[in-house]
Amino acid sequence: MNALIPGLLVLASLLALAALAVARAARWRAGRAAAVDAVAGLLAMPGRYLHDVHDAVLRDPVGRAKAGDTGRAAARMHMLTAGGFIAATALILAVHLFALGGVVLAWLLLAFLALMSAGLLRLYARRKPEVSPRLSRGGFDRLPYAFTAFIVFFAIATLPAAGLIAPFSWASLGGLALLALGAWACIELYVGMGYGPLKHALNGVLHLAFHPRPARFGATTPDSALQPLPATAERLGVEQPRDFAWNRLLAFDACVQCGRCEAACPAFAAGLPLNPKKLIQDLVAASGTHGSDLGYSGSPYPQRPVGSAHGAIDKPIIGSGAMIHPDTLWACTTCRACVYECPMMIEHVDAVVDLRRFQTLELGATPNKAPAVLEELKATDTVCGRPTSARLDWAADLRLPLLAEVEHTEALLWIGEGGFDMRNQRTLRALVKLLREAGIEPAVLGAEELDCGDVARRLGDEKTFEALARRNIATLNGYAGRFARIVTADPHVLQVLGREYPALGGYYSVVHHSTLLAELIEAGRLKPAADDSGRRVTFHDPCYLGRYNGEVSAPRRVLKGIGIKVVEMNRSGMRSSCCGWGGGSTFTDVPGKRRIPDVRMDHVRETGAELVAVACPNCAVMLEGVVQPRADVADLAELLLAAVEAGK
Amino acid sequence: MGQFDKLLEPLRIKHVTIRNRIISTPHAEVYAEDGVPGDRYIRYHAEKARGGIGMTMFGGSSSVATDSPAQWWKSLDFSNDKIIVPLQKLSDAVHGHGAALMAQITHMGRRNRWDGGNWPHLVSPSGLREPVHHATAKTIELEDIQRIIKAFGQAARRAKEGGLDGIELSADHQQLIDQFWSPRTNKRTDGYGGSFDNRMRFGLEVIEEVRRCAGDDFLLCLRMCADEFHPDGIDHEEAIRIARFYTETGLIDLLSVTGSGADTHATLANCMPNMAYPPEPFLHLASGIKAEVKIPLIHAQGIRDPLQAARILDEGHVDLVGITRGHIADPHFVNKMREGRLDEIKQCVGANYCIDRQYQGLDVLCAQNAATSREAVMPHQFSKAEVKKRIVVVGGGPAGLEAARVCAERGHTVTLFEKEPEIGGQVRWAAKAPARDQIGGIVRWFGLELKRLKVDLRLNTAADAAMIRAEQPDIVIMATGGVPFIDQFPGWGAAEGLCVSTHDILSGRVEPKANVLVFDVTSLFAGATTADFIANRGALVEIVTPDLHVAEGMGGTTVPVYNKRLAEKDVICTPNTFLHEVYREGDKLIAVLENEYTGRQEERVVDQVVVENGIRPAEALYFELKAESRNHGQTDLDTLFAYQPQPEISGEGFLMYRVGDCISPRDIHGAIYDSLRLCKDF
Repeated sequence: MNALIPGLLVLASLLALAALAVARAARWRAGRAAAVDAVAGLLAMPGRYLHDVHDAVLRDPVGRAKAGDTGRAAARMHMLTAGGFIAATALILAVHLFALGGVVLAWLLLAFLALMSAGLLRLYARRKPEVSPRLSRGGFDRLPYAFTAFIVFFAIATLPAAGLIAPFSWASLGGLALLALGAWACIELYVGMGYGPLKHALNGVLHLAFHPRPARFGATTPDSALQPLPATAERLGVEQPRDFAWNRLLAFDACVQCGRCEAACPAFAAGLPLNPKKLIQDLVAASGTHGSDLGYSGSPYPQRPVGSAHGAIDKPIIGSGAMIHPDTLWACTTCRACVYECPMMIEHVDAVVDLRRFQTLELGATPNKAPAVLEELKATDTVCGRPTSARLDWAADLRLPLLAEVEHTEALLWIGEGGFDMRNQRTLRALVKLLREAGIEPAVLGAEELDCGDVARRLGDEKTFEALARRNIATLNGYAGRFARIVTADPHVLQVLGREYPALGGYYSVVHHSTLLAELIEAGRLKPAADDSGRRVTFHDPCYLGRYNGEVSAPRRVLKGIGIKVVEMNRSGMRSSCCGWGGGSTFTDVPGKRRIPDVRMDHVRETGAELVAVACPNCAVMLEGVVQPRADVADLAELLLAAVEAGK
Repeated sequence: MGQFDKLLEPLRIKHVTIRNRIISTPHAEVYAEDGVPGDRYIRYHAEKARGGIGMTMFGGSSSVATDSPAQWWKSLDFSNDKIIVPLQKLSDAVHGHGAALMAQITHMGRRNRWDGGNWPHLVSPSGLREPVHHATAKTIELEDIQRIIKAFGQAARRAKEGGLDGIELSADHQQLIDQFWSPRTNKRTDGYGGSFDNRMRFGLEVIEEVRRCAGDDFLLCLRMCADEFHPDGIDHEEAIRIARFYTETGLIDLLSVTGSGADTHATLANCMPNMAYPPEPFLHLASGIKAEVKIPLIHAQGIRDPLQAARILDEGHVDLVGITRGHIADPHFVNKMREGRLDEIKQCVGANYCIDRQYQGLDVLCAQNAATSREAVMPHQFSKAEVKKRIVVVGGGPAGLEAARVCAERGHTVTLFEKEPEIGGQVRWAAKAPARDQIGGIVRWFGLELKRLKVDLRLNTAADAAMIRAEQPDIVIMATGGVPFIDQFPGWGAAEGLCVSTHDILSGRVEPKANVLVFDVTSLFAGATTADFIANRGALVEIVTPDLHVAEGMGGTTVPVYNKRLAEKDVICTPNTFLHEVYREGDKLIAVLENEYTGRQEERVVDQVVVENGIRPAEALYFELKAESRNHGQTDLDTLFAYQPQPEISGEGFLMYRVGDCISPRDIHGAIYDSLRLCKDF
């Protein structure tokens, strides 16, 4: 019996964990049904873990607060600690419960405990002497001690089996003390996997298997299209936690509170009351019977206190006295920085949009200017409320042919909302000139072009989005075969037309102007002169081009084509930081300590750039709205046109 | 809604799309070559088209017939087919930049000079004398009427064959058509006079003939005045009736409406309101017509600012905004607006340098833009110089400011020394006079541009030779201006402190006294505006000049403003008189005046004598540095006048050039032109 005690300790802990897991699963099962291919998911899980999760962990967190807080350190810590822990658990059961393997396995167990110790050193380094502000405290701070206790206890317990000391009895003062230490460690580490910091281990594995977006794994481009509203649901969108699909509730529960999302969130950085980590934790808390954020030990939502939020599985999530304040919900720019950073593959933006759908469609509670915008979209088919026939006012002297008037065009130019805005008319004018320079005569839809629906959809108005989308699709399908592809200077159009219309029956080849312009330069159809101004130029990746569509190379190829060597910002490419426009946030306009574009312009300033190149009409407007002194803002098309004209 | 949505909305009329709502209304350019548009004319209008304008209307008072002479102001002659090919070139150039174009054609009737060209006998409905042009025309005969109606038709045909989008018939400013309209000039008792319909008949027959000759696919605009401001002329109600009469025929496509008649000096000044007028002084009249007609309406007159134009359109007063002088000042007005570079627009200040030159038969030029109408040789936009130089400009008046701007646009490193706390030179003082404040806009624009171009502006810094050398300049530009030249004639008593200058008064250095004599030798703006400044404070003022009349050098559209302002304040104007001597008697000054012709002297007892005698160049610094400059301070005139770069001069040290008043006094345009033509090739 004496020799069995360590093994029984583990066994008992695992049984307790199993009981907790069943209870936890009951919480998830309260969610809506979801079509999940469980077998395929389970089979794919190890690959997703070793590939996707590993890659995400391996990236250095944004804005590292202390030296050594690298992705590699985090990955090593996990490999050594978790790998050692799993192996040690198996060996403990073998050696101590079933007395298998004799000296060899005992030594092997000691070896894995030693391996764990190596990981433990990294765990200490991560949390001592100071800890990055993005990390949660509380139970997480106890983890190093729990692992230490675990290693010490099981190492001593294994020494007799390894033949290093004589067997000893636990029934001594020292033995009992040691036993107490071991018991505490097992509760923290095994049972804790059911409720504590380590629950990410178990829930993470399940989440990877039953992930709501299985297509994101192994995909060449991000799986970023928003999913249509389930037609048969009791409520439109999500009001209560149980309105989420069960595997989304599971997904929230997989959060490890590493705060990588928080470090990357543009709203958080600008002091808007949003912290994606707390958002997920609040959703977890709200999925219980008496949820509150009292146990939350990370950074709060800026400007808001911690400890006063309450919710339950069948209570509204959003509300000024509920779990999540509406300002938090509407502060999100849907930039997907959190989604990209999350090592647990959680889909924050899907949750935000689901919550917004209920607020907008069922409650009409869209704040500030957003309801007016939605009304304009319904009444005029444009965000700004002007007639669609005015979208081409700026182009009267360019005599752009209507698609209705031409037999076929290589490029159907989708003008977008930028056509109503003087700033972006410059970009569009440059783009038309470039296309013509390359021998492409673009055609346009004219008054037939309606808003693509991006703003409506991100504001949760799925109905207006669908109405606009279906009418645009009917128009475009009416011209089937008359255009090779749709060209747009607006990445939001690229996303919606290219990736979100297919779900509604619209299948088109949509290309962003940066992609097309890069092609035209590389094919020798545009011959820009090399920029010899010597000015420092940086490039701001639009979220909807980079993280949503995976296109980070084309804009750089265009700039390279004009001889500009981009001075990269710390946050660029897939890890670019949002300008603050997306998700309708310019209309919901939740106040922060600063404006999001001001924060982004600080990133530009750090490079010393005199000019920031952009590739999105909304980024152009947001960054140009930053007060002087600041870098100039120019779209790729404007820069390229200047270079092409200089090359003549 | 964007700020300029309405302003940038295209307007489609028949087959013509005008790409935005900003146009230039017709004005006499005085650039035509033998009655047809030549290279200069075409480039002038093409530049506006390149700058984004919706439509340029051209050829103010272009003549349809040989008895409406237009040689006086080098206008276009539509009475002959030889204009067609040159018009085609003009159309291609303007259309090529995306703008529409229309010409104004007219017969001026009695509003003309008879003593030149073919020495024609002028015609008018009732043979009444026209006060401004001093012409008593013959009473027009029915044969003349038929001939001129046919001439209008043929002129329209030529315009159409010339590729224009349309023509404007001028029935504005008292041309032959509105001479028939107005009871003031039409006393006829036949079918062309008397009743309303009879007075409208000539205009209607002209319009019918024009439409018959030009066809339906051709825009026809009628320009009319919405109130002649004469008790015996057309008032607003009558104008509305006229507008309805013609628009309801369905024969015209556009109506262009202005305020004020033009057959007296006082009303003529209203037509091109200068800076003394409030903004858009006659918009209400155009708006009154707009409310009564169903075709697009144009209005110009004192609209200078994009925001003002946007408001006028947004409020629905008009459909097209004429920014005519605004485009003489900045042909790139629309593009700058469209590109959000509002501060870069060189805004018209209403100096009326352009129109006042035209009234003297001189080519139209802009006080503040020396490139306008010199597009072949002077740039509106600059390319960067191949070699970046260090350039020091001394003096921040118009010449120095333009030099600094042009050099900075060329990419050079520019330092500007100005001894005063503000830039502007003499313009600062000019802007202090009542109703002259807008002239300061010229300097305000330079200030914004120099900031944008990152010119190192050193205010409160009187440059000396050592400071200039310390900059190690490649080029030094002296633009030090001058000082009031009140000591030219010893009798004025400048040395004894018996007289002060206009600069002293306008700058506030010297307080005006109660009874002031202003002696004005230059007869330009300084004397009269200083008299106005002093009288405006309640003082008694007499302005004395040896010239034929006070403010003789001011132009035809500005002098009436001062005739009015000075008369309202009971300023005594004493022309033909020289200030012979000033002496002190007790606490008073005695000014001894001498008639230029009789030599008779009389005395005035006054508190203060202000002498305006222009300025004397400030040239000390120039002569101090002259010897060490590579070119001994000389500008090579042959290359300068040929618009070529200054010759290369090898050797050590810097090159030095002078511009503006520090060589010899000239006006703002002269100073700016000095700098532009010199610096464009640095």
